[in-house]
Amino acid sequence: MARKILLVDDEAGFTELLKMNLERAGGYEVRIENDSTKALAAVRSFMPDAILLDVVMPGMDGGDVQAQLQANPLLARIPIVMLTALVDSTELSEGAVAQAGSQMVLPKPVNLPLLLRVLDDILPAETAA
Amino acid sequence: MEKHSIVESVLDNLPVAVFAKDATDSFRFVLWNKKQEEVTTLRAGKAIGKNDYDLFSQESADYFRSVDKAVIQRGSLMKVPEEIIETKNGREVHLRTVKIPVHDEETGRLLVVGISEDITEQVKSREQLERLNRHLVQANEELQRTQLQLIQAEKLESIGRLAAGVAHEVKNPLALLLLGVDYLSQGIDPGDPNVATILTQMRDAVDRADRIVRGLVDFSSQRALTREATQLDRVVDEVLLLVKHELTRSNVKVSVRIEKDLPIVFLDMSKFEQVLINLIINAVHAMSGAESKQLKIRARAETLEGVVRNEGARTRELFRSGDRVVVLEILDNGTGIAPADAGRLFDPFFTTKPTGLGTGLGLSVARRIVELHGGLLILENRGKEPGAVARLLLPTKIETGKVRTVAQPGKIDEPSKKVDTKTKKLAP
Ligand SMILES: Nc1ncnc2c1ncn2[C@@H]1O[C@H](COP(=O)(O)OP(=O)(O)O)[C@@H](O)[C@H]1O
Ligand SMILES: [Mg+2]
Repeated sequence: MARKILLVDDEAGFTELLKMNLERAGGYEVRIENDSTKALAAVRSFMPDAILLDVVMPGMDGGDVQAQLQANPLLARIPIVMLTALVDSTELSEGAVAQAGSQMVLPKPVNLPLLLRVLDDILPAETAA
Repeated sequence: MEKHSIVESVLDNLPVAVFAKDATDSFRFVLWNKKQEEVTTLRAGKAIGKNDYDLFSQESADYFRSVDKAVIQRGSLMKVPEEIIETKNGREVHLRTVKIPVHDEETGRLLVVGISEDITEQVKSREQLERLNRHLVQANEELQRTQLQLIQAEKLESIGRLAAGVAHEVKNPLALLLLGVDYLSQGIDPGDPNVATILTQMRDAVDRADRIVRGLVDFSSQRALTREATQLDRVVDEVLLLVKHELTRSNVKVSVRIEKDLPIVFLDMSKFEQVLINLIINAVHAMSGAESKQLKIRARAETLEGVVRNEGARTRELFRSGDRVVVLEILDNGTGIAPADAGRLFDPFFTTKPTGLGTGLGLSVARRIVELHGGLLILENRGKEPGAVARLLLPTKIETGKVRTVAQPGKIDEPSKKVDTKTKKLAP
């Protein structure tokens, strides 16, 4: 069974290319959501194994999306990897990710091999292909 | 007799000290009134018939004698605006004295008559005033300096905000480019070796742009440090681990000597590691042409002496004589610094390295971080031996006030739970 990844980022080009890369890496089923306000609905319908979430987005930002997910016990357990173009990780702590529990933060430009390793780490073994 | 005692009781009741010496008889004292007894703590019975050398120190007596002689020679009154005598019990008495030559017609004697006013209290309060004034001047200077720093900080903050904004906008397209390169790298046409080269160069270009953008933000960042009490040897060990690969690859021998029981320093670990890495990589670059490459890391504790007189303005602002500091030195035996470059090393974007190898931001970022720590970073030639030395001075006491003014409050002692910065350093 392929691991299901939801990609939430307002940059369509970025999400498209990341999807291509993940699919070619193999074992991933990737869905894209470029509109963060629809992210919650996308999570409900797709029920991903992990979410890759941009931090700075128009409308709802990554922190808002995460807070909504956290509020729902059914969705709260889905691991989130934050992707951010914010330069310094200390910046993250102030806004979006301050209250976050144990999720990962990866800087953009994304180091693909590192991302694949992180996904391997956080996805439960039984859902792996 | 009658006349004599009237004069004596008048003299003894004067609020000034009066004395007379006989210049024709080795300047022996012939008159010594009550107030003079008080001022000198010497009784008249002890003083009459003696001269200055019997009663005062050699140095004082020499001085008194020279004035007395001058009075006689000029034959007119002389004023000594301030003289100091030290009494037997070690107290200093400040006197304002007038000395008058008097010719006693009857006996033919030549007298030097002195009248002294005790101005010790006046002098004391004048000195007090001067001291107060000095403090005031100092406080004022400090205020002006702080104001300058604030203006500077404000400038930097707006540059910082701009840089962070630009960085964010630039990083998104870079991210997209890199993913494109990642994708294409998988399906290279084996028949065309150029494709692989092109893709590698594109990847390097993205990496370079990313580094420059990050460097710019680091340079202008006014963010708070997360400082914690740290043992320097542990930081050095950790940093050496991080650059180990670079060092072995470049064939650099490392020797570390850190004094035992160094005082604790207060460091933002990840930022400070960045400083040391920058300095070590610079040293490695500088040694690239050297035959046997030797990197030395030394650390010791020192009490600063004579800071104010000997060092540049930067030191003067940060440290005072007597401050306890930890000195960390990174020595290399590389090219050293050309005199023409010495003044510009710390300028942002100043580099002598080919494009791709240097951004010219390493030292300016390092200095900013060190200064946020209340420390000092100098780079200079070693002097006797070839090569350069990067010298770091770190305060051993944390000046919270200084740190917090530029920082957002409440961030200093917060444990760094949230984001694992180390993820950045993981190699793929
Ligand atoms: N250890 C050193 N020995 C000699 N020159 C040095 C040393 N460290 C730095 N420099 C000089 O200072 C310049 C600026 O350094 P830096 O700000 O780190 O930028 P970069 O390393 O990217 O050039 C270097 O290009 C080099 O000319
Ligand atoms: Mg450098």
